[in-house]
Amino acid sequence: MLERFKVPDEDKIFVDSEKIFDLTKNILKNIGVSEQGANNTASVLIGNDLRGVESHGVSNGLRLYLDRYKDGTYNPSPNIKILRETPTTAKIDGDNAIGTEIGPVAMDMAIEKAQKYGMGSVSVINTGHLAGCGHYVLQAAEKDMIGHCYTGSPAGQTLPTGGSEPILGTNPVAWGAPANEMPSFLFDIATSQVAGNKIELTRRTGAKLLPSWIADKSGNPIIEEIETPSKGDYHLLPFGGTRENGSHKGYGLGMVAEIMSNILSGAGPGLFNDHQGSDYFAAYSIDAFTDVQKFKLDMDSLLTKIIDSKPAKGFERVVYAGFLENEEFEKRSTKGIPYHKEVVTWFENYCKKVGVDFNLR
Amino acid sequence: MLDRFKVPEEDKVYVPVEKITKVTENILKSSGVSEEGAKNSTSVLIGNDLRGVETHGVSNGLRLYVEKYASGDYNSNPDIKIVRESATTATIDGDNALGAEIGPIAMEMAIEKAEKYGMGCVVVSNTGHLAGCGYYPLQAVEKDMIGQAMTSGGAGLTVPTWGSEPILGTNPVAWAAPADEMPPFLFDIATTQIASNKIGLALRTGAKILPGWITDKDGEPILEEVDAPQRTGRHGESNYHLLPFGGTRENGSHKGFGLGMVVEIMTNELSGMGPAPVLHHEGSDMFAAYSIDAFTDVKKFKKDMDQLLSKIINSKPASGYDRVVYAGLMENEEYLKRSQEGIPYHKEVIEWFENYCNEIGIDCELR
Repeated sequence: MLERFKVPDEDKIFVDSEKIFDLTKNILKNIGVSEQGANNTASVLIGNDLRGVESHGVSNGLRLYLDRYKDGTYNPSPNIKILRETPTTAKIDGDNAIGTEIGPVAMDMAIEKAQKYGMGSVSVINTGHLAGCGHYVLQAAEKDMIGHCYTGSPAGQTLPTGGSEPILGTNPVAWGAPANEMPSFLFDIATSQVAGNKIELTRRTGAKLLPSWIADKSGNPIIEEIETPSKGDYHLLPFGGTRENGSHKGYGLGMVAEIMSNILSGAGPGLFNDHQGSDYFAAYSIDAFTDVQKFKLDMDSLLTKIIDSKPAKGFERVVYAGFLENEEFEKRSTKGIPYHKEVVTWFENYCKKVGVDFNLR
Repeated sequence: MLDRFKVPEEDKVYVPVEKITKVTENILKSSGVSEEGAKNSTSVLIGNDLRGVETHGVSNGLRLYVEKYASGDYNSNPDIKIVRESATTATIDGDNALGAEIGPIAMEMAIEKAEKYGMGCVVVSNTGHLAGCGYYPLQAVEKDMIGQAMTSGGAGLTVPTWGSEPILGTNPVAWAAPADEMPPFLFDIATTQIASNKIGLALRTGAKILPGWITDKDGEPILEEVDAPQRTGRHGESNYHLLPFGGTRENGSHKGFGLGMVVEIMTNELSGMGPAPVLHHEGSDMFAAYSIDAFTDVKKFKKDMDQLLSKIINSKPASGYDRVVYAGLMENEEYLKRSQEGIPYHKEVIEWFENYCNEIGIDCELR
């Protein structure tokens, strides 16, 4: 994440990762989510916070999810059904479970299928927020597989290249692959210039938006640095920003995510169907293609070559996707997770209100 | 493709599809390639030319391939072997066949596996140039499947985000998905700001290279418009390097670099060839097919695609644009037009064909 999205030092409160995990789980159980469901969601959210992906951790997410459990948008005790299945594929009806509860289950199914048949993929409809794609592909990497995930996030946010009407969501996509001694490759991105959740983060951190990150309501890219506009006063641009700078690549990959999640699952295009987006999880068994140990050593050799290469002027080092996240994971696992004080205060107030014990500071 | 890459009007020679197909097949056969192999490669190259992807058609490619057959880099008579196989996957040793010869076969295998098991994925090692990825996913689309292809030919061209040493190649990737009445979605890109072949094309058409597309030899992005440079080497031995798409970190080049890494991993590491940036080999390919029927009703999928794609092309363009399109729409328009009117080649390309055919003594009826 760029520096501008990070919590300013003076606003940081370091919280032990086990404490925040337990509290998040208890808050979810308090609202009616099962032990297993609360465990899954807390693992995804705190996993994101540990890797430094705080745009998709508890800070923005949890309060929103609680509202949705309360108003009935999310179902705390879903009856998950398999609607269609082949040796390698399955389509699941999530019964309005939050994505973070059902995602780990769906990826496990894909992994089991890949163990038997070489590849596995599972799509999930009728489900809520997935909190990014990164956590799920790491489940596969831990089993010596390549993991892959798409989610068709709420549509009507992002403009096509040359367009003025928003059609797609931020439609994130991720791949993960294991190495031997090096940290896993973990590539987890929004297909828009900036993730919707990062824009929300800037409201808390006061960061500005860079040129060509968003467009005005008529679809013209805003090409100066600006304060974050109010919700509904802007559209997102596909990554690349402008056509000259290759925004058709971001737009095209966003379309891939839309097709692989919403259309392949049968939920239909997000723009025309009243759903929050569907998800796609895939696992590729490395052993089905080549020797696993050789694969991982080859990964080490590739990743080491990158880390050891000479940086460009003005940069201290060269990294690969997943490397900084792993450094952050190790640091935060021992030192605690630096939350914005506003977030910790929210936790404390909420717990007081619903009568859940807390001990974060 | 941006206008700057197109053949200037005064240099165009229109050639009917059947004529260029026949001559290309005959040239490949005269290099020793089998009937079937020549058909495959020609079908890929002319398919690209028909869709307007002339960077990956006969113009740049064919002269290079015949040289590589002549020098022994490519094997005109390959003994293709399956090295490892599971219900849904296969790893193939291409025995130095041209990628465009073996690619259609590998994608067929992936499709057969997906028909039986829901998904199929085939990786190919020891193979030459694939001529882009776009042709192969369309094979899957014709069978009501989603197709995907990746290739990692030629490492040592592209600097990582924050880096100054070129590591990856241009590492292209493509996906395609069928619709009902609308032309299929076909998304086929290099993971660099600009494909190497486009720089080759720019050298011929005189187009300029835009700011933020390439770096100097020290890895510094060139931030002004420049003439297309002639490459002098790879793996750091070059006068310029490519940037991952996005260009700068602020503008998201980590997304281009990351996707380039996905391609490197899904091809070279998964096929067992090992990292091209370290071992300096010529790369490997990955082909995958996903049966739509294994997930949902095929008819519904295609109707949903129509609905989404129609919405896009009927949406209001931003100021300065005539219309909004999706990946594959313009390629399909070009395909229909060129199938009728012929393919507009640069006159220099036609001259090459005529001279080469003359030299090896085969018929060359193009004009």
